[in-house]
Amino acid sequence: MLKVEDLEAGYGGSQVLHSLSLRVGDGETVVVLAPNGHGKTTLLRAISGLIRPRAGRVEFDAMDLTMVPTEQIVAAGVVHIPQGDLPFPEMTVLENLLIGAYRSDAWRARSERLERVFELFPLLANRQRHLARSLSGGERRMLALGRGLMSTARLLMIDEPSLGLSPVVIEQVYAAIHAIKRAGLSILLVDENAEHVDGLADRMYLLEAGVLVREGAADVLLRDQALLATYLG
Amino acid sequence: MLDALLQALYSGVLNGSVYGLMASGLTLIWGSFRMLNLAHGAVYVAGAYIAYGLLSALAWPVPVTFVLAVGGAALIGLVIQLALINPILENPGRDSASLIAALAASIVIQSAILLVFGGQTKQLPPLLDGGFKVGTTLMSYQGLVVIGTAVACLFLMSVFLRVSRRGLAIRAISQNMDAARLMGIPIVPTFVVVMVISSALAGLAGVLLGSILFFTPAAGFTPMLMAMVVTIFGGLGSVTGTIWAAYIIGLMESFVAVFVGPSWAVSGIFLFMVLMLVIRPNGLFGLGEARRL
Repeated sequence: MLKVEDLEAGYGGSQVLHSLSLRVGDGETVVVLAPNGHGKTTLLRAISGLIRPRAGRVEFDAMDLTMVPTEQIVAAGVVHIPQGDLPFPEMTVLENLLIGAYRSDAWRARSERLERVFELFPLLANRQRHLARSLSGGERRMLALGRGLMSTARLLMIDEPSLGLSPVVIEQVYAAIHAIKRAGLSILLVDENAEHVDGLADRMYLLEAGVLVREGAADVLLRDQALLATYLG
Repeated sequence: MLDALLQALYSGVLNGSVYGLMASGLTLIWGSFRMLNLAHGAVYVAGAYIAYGLLSALAWPVPVTFVLAVGGAALIGLVIQLALINPILENPGRDSASLIAALAASIVIQSAILLVFGGQTKQLPPLLDGGFKVGTTLMSYQGLVVIGTAVACLFLMSVFLRVSRRGLAIRAISQNMDAARLMGIPIVPTFVVVMVISSALAGLAGVLLGSILFFTPAAGFTPMLMAMVVTIFGGLGSVTGTIWAAYIIGLMESFVAVFVGPSWAVSGIFLFMVLMLVIRPNGLFGLGEARRL
């Protein structure tokens, strides 16, 4: 489904990703694991077109997305949920969800999509009229996931959903990602904590200083304590 | 006393309506692509001149002409955006480049008007003639038409920004451009929509006010200046704040003019703005960088 080949990307004078290749199959959940500052966010930004790759190729369903503007990448079905704080603080929960369905095909089906999101995240249904900036950290993360689901995404790219959350909330957020996986979407998740993705990931990559150093089935890699200790510390 | 109060209220709401039309367009542009649109005043006056030109050439009904003139102003905005602003959006120095491009556009528009219509003052016929007296205050029907149209348009615009797909996209861009891209929102086409709406509102203000005030090719400058004051006062980029600010400033202007003296009206507003910016640097309704539209 998603195929990344020899991707190189960076900012200004510094190169962050070095000849990086990975793939995500249909319905698969793939996790890229690395500590902070090793290029996880850059990888997702390069795939979604927020930064221009310097070399390499991004392919989705045999469509070349390498130098394509972000809105067309979204149209192709690749939706990136960025890390950190909620993007549209001065819009209500409902408005945030609706804007997730901006593409006209998604917009036409927005009421059904909204229902599906509220089913997954009942909490958001009760907060529809609240401004996003009044939500707690965990609620904001749920909103970001819900907004991703409003789109016509077939592949969701999720950037470190646990960042800055308390353990209880982290559990809720990953439960939500499990639900998304069960709904049949392909997921590319980048994370720094191996425990969070246990039971969620089908396949994993370990990323170090912008280079993919290991690839394998999640249940194999996640049992290899020595390996995890080496790369994640 | 009561008459003076009524007079101040009436002209204050009238001022506020025109400022609201002008300033909400400026704030939309600032909110979405951080450009101070110095061509706004020229588009305003162009709206009035297009109506004037159409009326003298074709003698169609006044309302039809006015609608066409608003369309003409929107078209001018479209041309400015496509020809001058879009090509420099990717430019690293686009803040100052767009400022100068907009200034250039305003000079071109004013010179074109001067060439075609000359420099004498002009006036448009009102949509509705006549008026009535309440006490000693003369309320013209045209004044009420201006107020009604402005309130309706500002209301429609805020509804548009809240429920329509494009409106939500404009607000999303103004709050976080990268995140808006990730929603699949095409950035540059949305800028074009913003510019067209904003120019139509400026043209509407010009057409409506053209039958109350005389206008010359340079007559757009003062309304644009006042609109900038309103925009800063309301908190740059906040449409709701801008609409409130428009009426507050309009009323303040007329109350100072009636109760203190007309010569104090404008200087009083600037004094008030300076004081307010000391107390609330982000504007009356501004909540800082994060608060947009």
